[in-house]
Amino acid sequence: MGTYVTRRLILTLPVLAGILVITFLLTRLSGDPTDLMLPPNATDEARAAFRMVNGLDQPLWTQFIRFAGNALVGDFGASLRFGQSAMSLVLERLPATAELAAATMALALLFGIPAGVMAAVWRGTATDVSIRLVTLLGQAVPSFFLGVVGIIVFAVWLRWLPTGGRGSFGQLILPAATLAFNLVALIARVTRSCMLDVLKQDYVRTARAKGVWESKIIWFHALRNAFIPVLTVIGLQVGLLLGGVVVTETIFSWPGVGRLAIQAIYARDFPVVQAVVFVFATIFVAVNLIVDLLYAILDPRISYR
Amino acid sequence: MQRTRRSLLAAVALLMASGVTLGSSGITSPAWAQAGKTLTIAQGFDPQTLWPNGTTASDNLNAGGAIVESLLWTNPVTGKPEGMLAEKWEQISPTAIKLTLRRNVKFSNGEPLNADAVVQSFKVFMDPKQAPAYANYAAALDRVEKLDDMTVTVHTKHPYPPFELMLTQVYVIPPAYWASVGLDGYGQKPIGTGPFKLLEWVKDNRLVMERNPDYWGKGPTGVDRVIWRPVPDDTARVAGFVTGEYDFATNIPISAIDEINNQPDRKVVEIPSYRIFQLVQSSLEEHDSPLKNKRVRQALNFAVDKKAIIDSLFAGRAFALNGQLLRKEQLGYDPSLHDYPYDPAKAKALLSEAGYPNGFEIVFKFPSGRYAQDREVSEAIAGMLAKVGVRTKMTSLEPGEFLRQLRARELWPLAYLGLAPLDDPDFQLAQYRSTWRYSYIRNAELDALIDAGAQEIDREKRAAIYRKAAQLMHEEAPVVFLFGGYDFYGVSNKLDGIVPRGDQRFFLQNVTLKP
Repeated sequence: MGTYVTRRLILTLPVLAGILVITFLLTRLSGDPTDLMLPPNATDEARAAFRMVNGLDQPLWTQFIRFAGNALVGDFGASLRFGQSAMSLVLERLPATAELAAATMALALLFGIPAGVMAAVWRGTATDVSIRLVTLLGQAVPSFFLGVVGIIVFAVWLRWLPTGGRGSFGQLILPAATLAFNLVALIARVTRSCMLDVLKQDYVRTARAKGVWESKIIWFHALRNAFIPVLTVIGLQVGLLLGGVVVTETIFSWPGVGRLAIQAIYARDFPVVQAVVFVFATIFVAVNLIVDLLYAILDPRISYR
Repeated sequence: MQRTRRSLLAAVALLMASGVTLGSSGITSPAWAQAGKTLTIAQGFDPQTLWPNGTTASDNLNAGGAIVESLLWTNPVTGKPEGMLAEKWEQISPTAIKLTLRRNVKFSNGEPLNADAVVQSFKVFMDPKQAPAYANYAAALDRVEKLDDMTVTVHTKHPYPPFELMLTQVYVIPPAYWASVGLDGYGQKPIGTGPFKLLEWVKDNRLVMERNPDYWGKGPTGVDRVIWRPVPDDTARVAGFVTGEYDFATNIPISAIDEINNQPDRKVVEIPSYRIFQLVQSSLEEHDSPLKNKRVRQALNFAVDKKAIIDSLFAGRAFALNGQLLRKEQLGYDPSLHDYPYDPAKAKALLSEAGYPNGFEIVFKFPSGRYAQDREVSEAIAGMLAKVGVRTKMTSLEPGEFLRQLRARELWPLAYLGLAPLDDPDFQLAQYRSTWRYSYIRNAELDALIDAGAQEIDREKRAAIYRKAAQLMHEEAPVVFLFGGYDFYGVSNKLDGIVPRGDQRFFLQNVTLKP
């Protein structure tokens, strides 16, 4: 296990290095930030000064060597817009993103897994059909639409919740519910299909024949075995949620990484884009590793040597 | 099976109960939203810096300007420059202005406002490395001298008519504090002489300021605290304004105006913007297109129905340009000029005369997402041009690429553009001087008029020069003269004393919030 983890961690390094190179090149391909940072009527002298101060006047390879050298020690440079360290800007917003991701995932698991199990156990009944209809809707409705509808209904008409921002529990509900709606659908569908597979297995029949309680069969024997694909889906989604959810964060003015990333991309704030992508990639790799390790805990037949 | 059903029902009941708890406990509003005497303002974006000379973006200036103040300001009510930290200013020679500072003003850290602070502020303002966004205004400055503790002389390199406007752009910083925190530090934690002091800044979430008890002026009434909220999504901003989360909201979309005006306690204020919309028609030699021919450029002016665009896409909330680039309120506006009337027959005749009886095909560039309804306006224009035989190849550009092409003189042959320079005819017309980076016209007579206007101190003579330039541009048609836009603000009826300006600036110095 220890060797496996070490090997995986070592493999992570070239992945992150590759991501850094690609991000560096892609951001430079997108154009010169000077056009966006200064007003159109800025003087040539001011433009030259801006490019000099931010190192944009250097040849690309010089810029890359400087960038790579600093990135090795975790320094991604200063944001072109804020003048602050790009990495600190990202880390500043990470708690907000993590909070939203945790709330979303909690809601999604709370509703998604029971819904999937119920649909599988009562396959073909009205319950199954209604759950499938709702999950179909959940996957089909885009979050920007759902978010706006949520604001209009719960904030404007009913006045139950604030329209956006972060700071109180109420402000967390609408964005988390919007994101969770889609995720509930995904988790419920995967859970349902895996449960259907497992419920047909011999060991389930054996358990029933032995007279084990049906609820124990479903929630313990069957669900545990059906859970591995569900865990994979959850892992991928946690990774995505932690990378920031641009649309939802924008609609609900949620101060997370996604909003920072999209504004940085629009403004060609290279250092921030690079820092965001690096953090996102690291999280994604880490979550994947954790999920792989969880497999072994869930299913003793899987072992990493 | 019975047992299964019961346990599942129990699980569902539990889930529903937890959902209900979640919903009801979320009804509470944040404490700061309920605090009395709090003014909450929603803008599109969080400021990047609170040092006003750090950028020209209005979201930054509005927030930063509540803490850091300028020497003069243009009062939106009168449209005239008035004293802020400078009490008096007089032109003592064609190239020198004497400034007398307001007495007994202190920065909120105790440093005094004096000539040293002003000289230091000019030093930063004139350094393109520190204030690159303002280098265009600082370019005319030569040097700044301290005369005595409360007086300075500002020397310009040449007679500079818009010097008052330039003085409205110089924000005064406390030298000792600036030296200790540096440019970036100052932008994050500014100290100024303004009516508010920074209390808390949670990036992208809320910027909280508290009243400066030692403010030199009358200051705000009924406001102890201002909260600036960045709300990028239009729908969410309107929703938050309608529900009373915000007392003031910028950038209200046209589609929401009626909904807001139907509320008993809120309204929309409509402000004519400094932004002037036009179609660039490059006549540069190196840009080979039918637009090099003056009659073609005039034909396109006759082919576009400006009024239809204003009425249908902007619900009447845009203003005609009268065939020139200066607004009615500006020096040099020529009342004898009028818009090219919508006359497709005349347009076709001119195209025939120019040798294009069957029209022609041309690339038409427009930004997508930079101006309100930029795509819709461009599509409408393309349709109108098609009616006279000008078939456009529409090219949509991402805003950053659009600006790059503008600057690199690649925005040709035809492009939809909105420019919003500061409120002086020189800043508007200098953009058409042949040497200017994104001028798409080369005309020696126009250059001479622009140069003359930029240095003429006598107002009447200066106005006459610009009227002549306007006539020349009307005839030469380097652009299709389209319209001027409006900005829309949501204002609570409890709020008085915030008057936005055409450059999207508003000031909190005299704001009143009724209970």
